Amino acid sequence: MKIAEIVKSCKLQVLSASGSLDREAAGGYASDLLSDVMAHSNKGDIWITLQTHPNIVAVAVLKEICGIVLVNGRKPEQDTVSKAESESIPIMVTDLPAFELIGELHALGLRGKR
Amino acid sequence: MRCGTRYAMKTAAVSCWRNDLDDLSLHVLDILENSTAAGATEIEVRINEDIDENLFTIEIEDNGKGMDQLNLSQSRDPFFTTKDTRRVGLGLSMLAQACGEAGGNLEIRSEPGRGTVIKASFVYRHIDRKPLGSMAETIAALIAGSAGAVRLVYRHCRGNREFIFDTAEITKTLDGVAINHPEILSFIKEAIESGLESLSERSNG
Repeated sequence: MKIAEIVKSCKLQVLSASGSLDREAAGGYASDLLSDVMAHSNKGDIWITLQTHPNIVAVAVLKEICGIVLVNGRKPEQDTVSKAESESIPIMVTDLPAFELIGELHALGLRGKR
Repeated sequence: MRCGTRYAMKTAAVSCWRNDLDDLSLHVLDILENSTAAGATEIEVRINEDIDENLFTIEIEDNGKGMDQLNLSQSRDPFFTTKDTRRVGLGLSMLAQACGEAGGNLEIRSEPGRGTVIKASFVYRHIDRKPLGSMAETIAALIAGSAGAVRLVYRHCRGNREFIFDTAEITKTLDGVAINHPEILSFIKEAIESGLESLSERSNG
């Protein structure tokens, strides 16, 4: 499923790399512990987190994550947005808590296990 | 060979605490490895648990080659790395994040040719402060990897008590046996564990 479709269905706000939304999300991963994401996320995952530090962009690049969704109305730091822009990593935000958003993504057919 | 040993020790240390990949002691191990990679021959680790002031600090000082202004200003940037095997270097940036999440900060002072001092501070009882984890494993991993080429001093204060471990003291008593011999390493681990335990014992007074 393309990120653009997820953005539309879940009413996400896109804050960076809006030119990269035709990328496919192959699955999803949710965690707020960077070391855990580095260990367990899969290439092509969309990542659900409440972390806003620029390090999330580095982890996304390292793991070839297709996009990051910040939940609970969290706003990324300015540095995070500019890094994400230059690395073409879409950062999206929602007011929904993680549990609700992940439920919607699951209903759209995205899975955490492949 | 040396690098291989260090990697094996780190992997072993990580795999036996599978759930604690985020312990601060692993950040310390990362920095110690930076220090040895920078050619340090003397490293001092100072940990201070200032319970009254609600402050937790980890300071690591080395006499390695240091960093110039440019490297220093980029050292917290996750997209800066001196490695050419991958594009991101998360060591110091992850530690800076861990500090920030727990009400503290990361200070880095460095001078080319003289060495580097890294000081990570945290609010001691902040709910998001990560646990220290096993310093005994971290120190043993460094000794295993550096094979006696580095003098390592580890000072750990809690309140008014202090524990000091110094590889120079151990080497003196070894009479030529390698400090990274497996039996010596397990002795070192036990010595550090019991030393740290003695910091927590309730005093009678």
